[in-house]
Amino acid sequence: MRSLLLSGASFALTAAVIANAYYQKKQFYPSVVYITKSNPSMAVIYIQAFVIVILMGKLLRKIFFGQLRAAEMEHLIERSWYAVTETCLAFTVFRDDFSPRFVALFTVLLFLKCFHWMAEDRVDFMERSPVISFVFHLRVLSLLTFLGVLDVYFVNHAYYSTLLKGPTVQLVFGFEYSILLTVVAMTFIKYLLHTVDLQNENPWDNKAVYLLYTELLMGFTRVVLYVCFMVVMIKVHTFPLFAIRPMYLASRSFKKALQDVIMSRRAIRNMNTMYADATPEELASGDNVCIICREEMTQSSKKLPCNHIFHTSCLRSWFQRQQTCPTCRLDVLRMPRPSATPAAAAAATAAAPPIAQANNAPQQLFQNFNGMFGGFPYAWPPVPPAHANGQPGAQPQQGTQQSVPSAGGTTTSANNNTTPAAPGSPPPFPPFSHLCPCFPPPPANLGGLSDSELRSMEGTERANVEARIYWLRDIQALLDGAMMLISQYNQVAATVGMSGIHVPPTGSQTSTAKDTASTKTKPEGPIPETNQAETVTTNTDTLPKVSSSVTSLNSPSSKSLEETLDFSGLEGATGFSGPKEMDLPAWEDPREDEHEDELHEVRRRRLERFSQEGKKKEDFDLD
Amino acid sequence: MAGSALKRLMAEYKQLTLNPPEGIIAGPISEDNFFEWEAYIMGPKDTVFDGGVFPARLTFPPDYPLSPPKMRFTCELFHPNIYPDGRVCISILHTPGDDPMGYETSAERWSPVQSVEKILLSVVSMLAEPNDESAANVDAAKKWREDRRQFEEIAAATVKKSLGL
Repeated sequence: MRSLLLSGASFALTAAVIANAYYQKKQFYPSVVYITKSNPSMAVIYIQAFVIVILMGKLLRKIFFGQLRAAEMEHLIERSWYAVTETCLAFTVFRDDFSPRFVALFTVLLFLKCFHWMAEDRVDFMERSPVISFVFHLRVLSLLTFLGVLDVYFVNHAYYSTLLKGPTVQLVFGFEYSILLTVVAMTFIKYLLHTVDLQNENPWDNKAVYLLYTELLMGFTRVVLYVCFMVVMIKVHTFPLFAIRPMYLASRSFKKALQDVIMSRRAIRNMNTMYADATPEELASGDNVCIICREEMTQSSKKLPCNHIFHTSCLRSWFQRQQTCPTCRLDVLRMPRPSATPAAAAAATAAAPPIAQANNAPQQLFQNFNGMFGGFPYAWPPVPPAHANGQPGAQPQQGTQQSVPSAGGTTTSANNNTTPAAPGSPPPFPPFSHLCPCFPPPPANLGGLSDSELRSMEGTERANVEARIYWLRDIQALLDGAMMLISQYNQVAATVGMSGIHVPPTGSQTSTAKDTASTKTKPEGPIPETNQAETVTTNTDTLPKVSSSVTSLNSPSSKSLEETLDFSGLEGATGFSGPKEMDLPAWEDPREDEHEDELHEVRRRRLERFSQEGKKKEDFDLD
Repeated sequence: MAGSALKRLMAEYKQLTLNPPEGIIAGPISEDNFFEWEAYIMGPKDTVFDGGVFPARLTFPPDYPLSPPKMRFTCELFHPNIYPDGRVCISILHTPGDDPMGYETSAERWSPVQSVEKILLSVVSMLAEPNDESAANVDAAKKWREDRRQFEEIAAATVKKSLGL
């Protein structure tokens, strides 16, 4: 109503202006000159032109679309606002050749754009409407031809005018209309697909795929066009600010189309390879309505590993979005192959899952166990599953050999949840002393393990071998640490011995009686002169214990590992060197009894010295 | 052979008219657009919303049932899980990708198995038992949690309003 009033007012004004001019000049040419020279009259004429364009637009819309639906109208208004803003931005770029003709061209462009959008919406509506009339087809077809012809004309025009006059504003129109041309092409293809689909009685499975590929192609064309446009505009004019938004949108939709195509391809591939077709018996038994489209399943249905059956096409379009079963949300990609394809299942056994499964139970058991040792960064060898312990046939003499498979088992589990300490870093001290009472590790009774379980624990995959190497490196690091301790100890003991050389060895006889007493009183006993000596006192007390525990901790497993593994193959591995006999510290030698004596000797001497000093001090105090 | 979304919506409409669940009426606003539905939900018995009839609008996407519809109450409804503008915030209407409140598990999200009927039934139970952990209307959630009496008063007022009293 208001628009009617406004256009009526505009017509009246124009009539008044023309009448006034004609009344004043009496003749046609002078009155035209009068109108063009007078600014107020020109303003009225421009407004009139604008009103006429809008009326034309309305007329065309009536012809091609009839009544617009609410959603279409909303869509149109939203998009036109952006288009108008962009046009205004474009005006700023081309303000030099700003003229009524120029404005008119942009207005035409804007109108054509609106019609393209409406055509798109209409064709999309085809899929949603229950009845498509003959008039609809006629309208859409004529509109698409009309738009296509206009687009081609304008592109041509822009091309030749650019060739003749060099780059002008026609460049912008050329690009705009070629992009609109892609819209027309896209809409037409969609229309064709929908029409073919409507003619068919059965659902057309491949329609979605064709649509996807058309979208991809058109998206690509648009992105290429926009990039070319950008480059050309930056070269000849300035940066085309007004093209940023559509360009961004085009690239985004292209990216989405590409993603869709990839997902769809993956979905189709999975459909074809992973899931079995539902057999007629399965379809016949029970409810055979596809839960996705709520229609009966008669042909081309697929069965998921969770035994839910769907239409192939429904399932495919769902898998494009999510890889779960629509009914139970089972993650179909993570599932082991269905038993329906035994060949695939057999192939899968070679892969990791069985090993992971085999290790799961012991792993969980040990999670708690590890917690007991605080920061101890080494995983214990997993105990065999609980039922193994109940095996009465287990013989105690198996004890030594048990560590072999259990060590192998640890290697497979080590890569799961333990972070081995970096080789060469000093081994953690405190846990040792606090660990000793807990040693040896819980007896691993492997009697109940089946051969296959043992084999899976042993593992020959890269991950297992790597874990084993890590394990061995850790052992080496432990041994190195113990070695360091020992050498430190020896050094200190030597210096202590040197400084105490003036003490006559025979004097020991007097001090031996005090030996035990001084051991007890040592913590609050006399303070040694040197700091070094002090640190040693605190350390050395635990040291023999530590070293012995290290020996017992490592030698059985390392030796047994040495027996099981062929180190020649590992020799070249990064930073790995197999534990060799000569690498072992002297005290770890089987003939370490003499060392044992030596240690005792050192200790005895040290104690002697302390007692000596204590005695001296006592003497001093007495004095 | 029309689009699968349309066919499914028609099937659901048929189902809803043949076996209407208690306290729920729903159907397309006009027969030539099956993607816009209107629904009337009766306030569940023995709750603060008892006796009210609340109109809502359902908008279906073109790729329904792969994507969930949107639901919006067209009347005023003061409820922790309904935005002040009427949009309904329940997990069944969210795809696993989007999670406005960041705590829903994917198990309760949209899947093609869901239907208009299930959505409306969940909305009814949402009306009965607001979830104040993921509040769409913080004001309402606060009142629900801290000042139940005032919440009930407001709810009673909305019930009256919905009946045109």
